[in-house]
Amino acid sequence: MRVLAVLVWAPLVLIVATILGAVGALASQLPLASLAEALASDETRFAVAMSLRSSLTALALALALGVPSAWLLARRRFPGKPVVETILDLPMVTPPLVAGIGLLFLLGREAPVGGALSAMGLELLFSPAGVILAQTYIATSVIVRSARAAFGAVDPGFAANAATLGIPPFWAFLLVEVPMAGRALLAAAVLGWARALGEFGATLMVAGATRMQTETLPMAVFLNIASGRTDIAIACALILLALAFALLLAIRLLTAERDDSLREDADVRFAA
Amino acid sequence: MSGLRLEGVANAVLAPLDLTVRPGEAVAVLGPSGAGKSTLLKIVAGLLPHRGRVLLDGGELTWLPPHRRGIGYMSQDLHLFPHLSVANNLHLPLVFRGLDRAARAARVAETLALCAIDHRASRRPASLSGGERQRAALARALVCRPRLLLLDEPFANLDHATRGALWREVDALRRRLGITALIVTHDPAEAAALADRSVRIADGTLTERTAPSCSPSMTTPCCAC
Repeated sequence: MRVLAVLVWAPLVLIVATILGAVGALASQLPLASLAEALASDETRFAVAMSLRSSLTALALALALGVPSAWLLARRRFPGKPVVETILDLPMVTPPLVAGIGLLFLLGREAPVGGALSAMGLELLFSPAGVILAQTYIATSVIVRSARAAFGAVDPGFAANAATLGIPPFWAFLLVEVPMAGRALLAAAVLGWARALGEFGATLMVAGATRMQTETLPMAVFLNIASGRTDIAIACALILLALAFALLLAIRLLTAERDDSLREDADVRFAA
Repeated sequence: MSGLRLEGVANAVLAPLDLTVRPGEAVAVLGPSGAGKSTLLKIVAGLLPHRGRVLLDGGELTWLPPHRRGIGYMSQDLHLFPHLSVANNLHLPLVFRGLDRAARAARVAETLALCAIDHRASRRPASLSGGERQRAALARALVCRPRLLLLDEPFANLDHATRGALWREVDALRRRLGITALIVTHDPAEAAALADRSVRIADGTLTERTAPSCSPSMTTPCCAC
């Protein structure tokens, strides 16, 4: 019994200790006064504002694109659906750098799409818009996958019943299916936002690494490590870690409450 | 007023069938599991594609989407919206009927009282007993005062005592409101209690039967079908 306890506890302790060790080592690199100074610097404040602005915009776009797509995938059958689903999963498994190179070639002025956008006066590359594009690209994939599972867990009989009650399909989606999938959709949104906040590789390719222009928090870490300003790099890294922890905790609480409510429902069902 | 008429209705499960339900009449559709009973109801509700024609009170429903058919449908799983209270389950469909807030509130209160579930108006469906959920689902199916009521194994998950009480109440309520009804059940006693006559589906084929002979007060199966 004692051997088993050691066998299961030791790896867990080792993993947690390694993660905490890395975070602690990062935090201990700067005295508190220097950390406060770095946190208050113009560059750090720009990176925080840029990251929040771009990631929230990307989240809104990803939700607008991803939620209807997820509903369609969960509710409808159509030719080539497995291929479409596989394509939608690609951004999650390909390195963001690869996705970024693809977007770069797609939207470059020499390419048909990029040329057309450029003719309309839309310059997405190497601009803050490029940051949003890269973050949206990555976050959408996460949201489609999570929201699809959320809608898949809602019995389509509810929407059918809503229809027989005279509720038009769009309103049944909005007033019945979305609230029923609500907590899981919220968790999907938080996960998508976390991915957008931490996005680096695709942003580097699409928006470039320009100080005080396309400088998100991950970009600030990269730029300042490369230029030897470790104080700002560490400050931005710690902000990213704090945000990631808060978002992961939010997801955990959201899904845990959902599990509890499902258990309660099951209890009532069995008691009835 | 000419009630419900099905002309040559068929799909992959059902052989072409004709059926007429007179205005204010309740017809039970009996048959074993998998015979196509629920499929027939879903076709009438507009939830499944089919061949043939569906007419209600002389008007053709065949091409109308479900939300424009004016039919009340109570499925076996009830599908009460779990995020809404019982009262709001009834309010929601009325929003799309163009009734103002006061008229909606009055209709909801009246329907909840009719179905004897007004004392649970503010509760969520998950906190109701099995019988209360059936009453809430029935109230929701009736709140828009449908021309036709479709009941799919409406009380299948209840104990005998609760079912017997609900059968009598629902039959009285339907007659009082003068609603035409098509009721799917595999239980002849339920058919006898709720319907004026019954038809039988077996292997996707419909056969007419005589009026149910069981007493409406019966709570257990009384005849073999």
